[in-house]
Amino acid sequence: MGVLGWVIVVVIVVVVASVAFVVIRRRRRGGRVIAAKEKG
Amino acid sequence: MTESFKRSAGRKVLSRSSAKELGSVSHLLVDAQERRIAAVVIGRGKKAQLVEWEQLSGFGPDAVMVVDEGALRPPADDRERGATEGKLELVGKRALSEGGTEVGKLDDVTFDTDTGALVELIIGDRRVQAGALMGSGSYAAVLDDSAEPSP
Amino acid sequence: MRLLMTASQIRGLPVVTVRGGEDVAEVRDVIFSPEAGRLLGVTLNKRGFLAGRSRDVLPAEAIHAIGQDAVMVLDALSLVAPEDAPDDVAHPAVERNVIGDDVLTEGGLSLGKVTDLVLLVGSSGEVVGYQIEKPGGGRGYIPLPAQLAVSGAALVVPNITEEFVKDDLVGLGATVDEFRARLGLS
Repeated sequence: MGVLGWVIVVVIVVVVASVAFVVIRRRRRGGRVIAAKEKG
Repeated sequence: MTESFKRSAGRKVLSRSSAKELGSVSHLLVDAQERRIAAVVIGRGKKAQLVEWEQLSGFGPDAVMVVDEGALRPPADDRERGATEGKLELVGKRALSEGGTEVGKLDDVTFDTDTGALVELIIGDRRVQAGALMGSGSYAAVLDDSAEPSP
Repeated sequence: MRLLMTASQIRGLPVVTVRGGEDVAEVRDVIFSPEAGRLLGVTLNKRGFLAGRSRDVLPAEAIHAIGQDAVMVLDALSLVAPEDAPDDVAHPAVERNVIGDDVLTEGGLSLGKVTDLVLLVGSSGEVVGYQIEKPGGGRGYIPLPAQLAVSGAALVVPNITEEFVKDDLVGLGATVDEFRARLGLS
């Protein structure tokens, strides 16, 4: 594979890793403040 | 006699029966509820072994004497494995009050060499009675509210 | 030790066992009762940089203390499975997240948008008021009980709340009793 091929592989790996990272971090963020429903 | 964790680190461990050198002290495993040393960890990594406090004939300023080499054993459970990996080491551990406030870092811990009972916890320039210790583990040593610094 | 903390300060705090000295979870969402003015519980994330949500929850009764640096529980058994927890905490009404809610007086005036919740913590969690972003910009605090009604979109508050918008937490703490007296409570 030429240099260009390797560059593309690296870019794809970095992009996928970044997306996975962002997705996981956002899923766990939470931080909501929830008002429980009124009773009765 | 009162000894400290920091001073004891690296001390030679010998067998009383054979005078053979068995290794050196790497960690002291504490029973936080009873506030005493439960076992001495000798050596590091996969070869680390434990010897229970009751199996010591003496904890001296120059050497720790074990009754017999046979008293050394590998870690028996996760907690003991954590101890051999240094995760339960009190020196350098974050000190948290039972109210959830960080009190500081444990710089050293002193103990009675006859009984293994903890005497004082040293946090910066403060000396806190060991009775304040409520629990300790990999994340923190938890101290009762008497240890919280005055506002 | 009792102190004022906001829900955003409590989010992300480690949940630490008193006996084990272990960080068994961390705080994710805060669930409170607007009527009772108290913390009902928190949902949890697992500890670790890329760790996900935890199924277990922590009801307020199981909290030993909340402090600046940690939420303390007696041991890991304090974290309960959803089936063993009160419904409000086990299945939080996520559509009733008050962050971003418009704060409207009965008369129809907007006092701002909710940005946070203010709690008096210690061995229990009492909700003291809301932190808001005022319409012209800038931070304000309004005392609880502030709302006549709350949904996921808005808080409706008594008209007199307008006089009780404070600039800082100290002001809020000082004003709560007077506000409640004016509303004819306790």
